[in-house]
Amino acid sequence: MDGLVELLVSPLGQGFVRRALAAGLALGTAGAFLGVFVVQRGLGLVADGLAHATFGGLALGLLLGATPDRAIWIALPFTMAVALGIQQLRRRTSLGGDVATGVFFAVSFAAGVMFLGLRGPRGVPVNVEALLFGSLLAVSPEALGVVALVSLLVVSVLLRVGPQLAYATFDAELARLSGVRVEALESLLLAMTALVVVVGAKTIGVVLVAAFVVIPAATAQILGRTLGVTLALAVAASLAGTAFGLFASYHLNVAPGATIILTLGAFFFLALVLRRR
Amino acid sequence: MSLALAARDVVVELGGRRVLDGVSFEVGRGEFTALCGPNGGGKTTLLRAALGLVPLAKGSIEVLGERPGRATAAVGYLPQTKSFSGSFPARVVDVITAARRGAWPFRVSGPERERAREVLARVGGEPLVDSPLGGLSGGELQRVFLARALVRDPALLLLDEPTAGVDGRGRAEFLDLLAGIAERSDLAAVLVTHNAAAVRRLADRALYLDGTLRAWGAPEEVLDREWVGTSAFSGHDHAAPVDARCEDA
Repeated sequence: MDGLVELLVSPLGQGFVRRALAAGLALGTAGAFLGVFVVQRGLGLVADGLAHATFGGLALGLLLGATPDRAIWIALPFTMAVALGIQQLRRRTSLGGDVATGVFFAVSFAAGVMFLGLRGPRGVPVNVEALLFGSLLAVSPEALGVVALVSLLVVSVLLRVGPQLAYATFDAELARLSGVRVEALESLLLAMTALVVVVGAKTIGVVLVAAFVVIPAATAQILGRTLGVTLALAVAASLAGTAFGLFASYHLNVAPGATIILTLGAFFFLALVLRRR
Repeated sequence: MSLALAARDVVVELGGRRVLDGVSFEVGRGEFTALCGPNGGGKTTLLRAALGLVPLAKGSIEVLGERPGRATAAVGYLPQTKSFSGSFPARVVDVITAARRGAWPFRVSGPERERAREVLARVGGEPLVDSPLGGLSGGELQRVFLARALVRDPALLLLDEPTAGVDGRGRAEFLDLLAGIAERSDLAAVLVTHNAAAVRRLADRALYLDGTLRAWGAPEEVLDREWVGTSAFSGHDHAAPVDARCEDA
């Protein structure tokens, strides 16, 4: 038993692991909380689309001369604009959310590839693999501050508007009749998703960040009978998956983003099995 | 008599089509009005316009002296089609409490649970209080949504084909329920229905709507018109071929 504890605790002796764990837990909490509303509204694919739009935003930032760390300040408005574009396309046309997302997803990603190509030989060298798959173990104290601030902001806003957002998620029309501002809340939800996805893309990567939003929420949805329980389960799954995945990555010497998402995936399939019983 | 609902020269256009054309009528407080007519006649649109969910192209509607959408706390609404998310982790007590609060309850207090039980008891649904919404039958769901509509003690009840999707026995029980509710002297109600028996039993007055208001008056007067009987009533809600003959459920 002592050996197991030692195995888990020993990586925490190193500052970069502590920062990675703190960033992962903060992002996991915000992502899971947000994810419950995103998944319930059938916007899981939108989270994925926004993650890929982030790649376009980061690449635009690099084209404009920003460093990889500062490029998120260009990626943020870019991704929010894409989020609002998806929302407007869903509202104003008969196209489904999946089609709107698919169009923006492909166009943003292609734009990102083009922006990277347009930088020319004098651009800051960029590790595209790090953009796509992130670098949780390389989180700087400054980046950790941004992640913590964003997570705190998202959780605070969700605690404030959660009851109205939940009502609008259950039934938009009945909520509207009770005076809930359904459209404004949906815009807020998409903006917060864009925020978490952009910050998360920098730490666990464009390809994996949507899973951070979707999988814990989907796991909790399988098991939760009430919204309160579902939220608690989503956050618990996310925190446990992040911690376990990070320690596993340390000992296996593989990318933490992958082990975290694989752990979250294992929780999801375990939930499916538990439900059948 | 003060009015629960007043529509004056109401015109509604949806998708370029005129669905309601110059509709005017009044519902007094405590009056039970049945709204009949063929499919596509604008009955649901009229209810939705009264709730502020559909904009008026012309005319005006006053609900309890307010513009549509303003007096929502005093209006109970039972929609024809349930549009809630089936995967949402909702129990019956949550749905009823949400209608009372105007926000989803992350935690239901003791008094709120008691109120939910009380209003469910009025519609014969008390054992359902902790049931997940997703597991309910069509009839149980209608009871829950009727309880939801009643939880704030409304002055006006808008019921859109409340027995749609309910089997024969359930329809009869549901009509008994509505009859009990209709006895409350200060409660006004507008009932959209294809059920002639419901109109005869419950309504003080019937309106026949087919884009325009084509007939109104005492239920028997409206139902006995030859052209009404063959075009709007099938004996039950939302399952009728347009030309079905009138039959009582």
